[in-house]
Amino acid sequence: MSLAAGMIKSSTPNGSGGLQLDGVSVTYGGGRGHPPVSALEAVSLVVRPREFVSLVGPSGCGKSTLLRVIADLQAPTSGSAQVDGTTPRQARLARDIGFVFQDAALLEWRNILRNVELPLELAGMPAPDRQARSGELIELVGLTGFERALPRQLSGGMRQRAAIARALATRPRILLMDEPFGALDQITRDRLNMELVRICEATEATVLFVTHSIREAVLLSDRVIVMSPRPGRIVSAIEVDLPRPRTLETRDNPRYLDLLRTGAAELEKGYRRHG
Amino acid sequence: MAEAADRGDSGLLARWWPLVWPPVAAAIVIGIAWEAITVGLAIPSYFIPSPSRIWEAFWSAPGTLLWHAGITLFEAITGCLIGSVLGALLGVAFAYSRLLARGLLPFFIAANTIPVVAIAPIIILWFGHGIEAKIAVTAFLSFFPLALNMMKGLQSYDRVVMDVFHVAAATPLQRFFRMRLPNALPYVFVGIKINVSYSVIGAIVAEFVQADRGLGFVIMTTYRTLNMPRLWAALIVSAVIGMAFFAIVTLVERLSISWHSSMRSES
Repeated sequence: MSLAAGMIKSSTPNGSGGLQLDGVSVTYGGGRGHPPVSALEAVSLVVRPREFVSLVGPSGCGKSTLLRVIADLQAPTSGSAQVDGTTPRQARLARDIGFVFQDAALLEWRNILRNVELPLELAGMPAPDRQARSGELIELVGLTGFERALPRQLSGGMRQRAAIARALATRPRILLMDEPFGALDQITRDRLNMELVRICEATEATVLFVTHSIREAVLLSDRVIVMSPRPGRIVSAIEVDLPRPRTLETRDNPRYLDLLRTGAAELEKGYRRHG
Repeated sequence: MAEAADRGDSGLLARWWPLVWPPVAAAIVIGIAWEAITVGLAIPSYFIPSPSRIWEAFWSAPGTLLWHAGITLFEAITGCLIGSVLGALLGVAFAYSRLLARGLLPFFIAANTIPVVAIAPIIILWFGHGIEAKIAVTAFLSFFPLALNMMKGLQSYDRVVMDVFHVAAATPLQRFFRMRLPNALPYVFVGIKINVSYSVIGAIVAEFVQADRGLGFVIMTTYRTLNMPRLWAALIVSAVIGMAFFAIVTLVERLSISWHSSMRSES
């Protein structure tokens, strides 16, 4: 277990889905009597290709901001992010980034099939090709039979499955997930966690997964990055050496409990340091 | 979904009947009561004509009345179309330019509060005594409701959906046609429904000011000669036109934004 805070792993990404953050800071606002708020402070991180990394921390620790920087939804105030050796903007325009938000954010007027194929349609893929791909993805996320259903006819968990399928449509090398199961009940969440394990094994994507559940993070990840409250900093990185494939029974593994305890202690450390 | 399709197959009548019979029954009851009261109390027909007198007045010269109604209908539809298209375009411009909206919106709202009876003579002065002036008055009335609703609708998108489009590298045109415009449709229909109601009013008011044809002309001339049953017949024809307009737009709305929560059937 390596606990080096904010350390950069020695191996650098080599053009197949790696990710590198160098001293990324984001400061919001300032002006009109409001002091600027520092959301992220000097975050450095290297993610290996195909690695599943979770970012864990309390609300407001800037973990979502970090994903937004990588997806080119937010420019860093200082520092830089690299996706596969290119800028986030280049990666986004190359449709190399998939993003799953906490809200499924489906288009209510499109059925599930048409929602899933949206990114392919925006990319100009011919209709027969994108329908075939969309069908595959719907099967992958377990929504077969609901192709023609409208989003409002589905449960929250099913909507989120559709959102995952949509995010994977263009075969992105980076999959960013911002508390994708945060709004779901625990039973649905457990099931979707296992589905995600299966889905990630079927795709080649590197995954960056934001959650405030240390349990979810340990269960799913190769590595858990613990972050401190505002301003968000990396407190520690925990290598998760649990065997794969992970199942719900992984939670009975004594090692899992060890890692949970370590994670909880690191989270606590982050709080103490920043009051 | 299959369930909905099955219900569709079981016949249009079965689906519409629950919606159709209550107003029809109400019309029959009101008609009978109206007839009984006016005849029973011997109310003079220039004061309140009985339904049978109105019916007679309509059938005494149905062709002429319908010809006038056709003129008014044409003015209303043309004016409504022109006003709606211009209003929609302005709404798009407002939605995309905050500066333009801030600068011009107060004046458009001010213009919108001017009563149509006050503006109609001016427009008729500009456009002359023909049908064009009536179309212009109607277009003027149909302009603001859609402009405002289009702007509101285009601005009402979900920020997360916008992020999805951004991450998927959508072009501004793709954002407009695949996200903002479909998302605005419920608002657009609110605007169009206001417009179709206003358009018949606008055409008739313009005919009041100056006309030699149209329902407004019929209403003015029958009032001067106190031919009240015929005036009432003209009123009812104008109401039927307005309702038919509204019904057509509502049908199109149901077909095109069936996904929207406001369209859920209340069964």
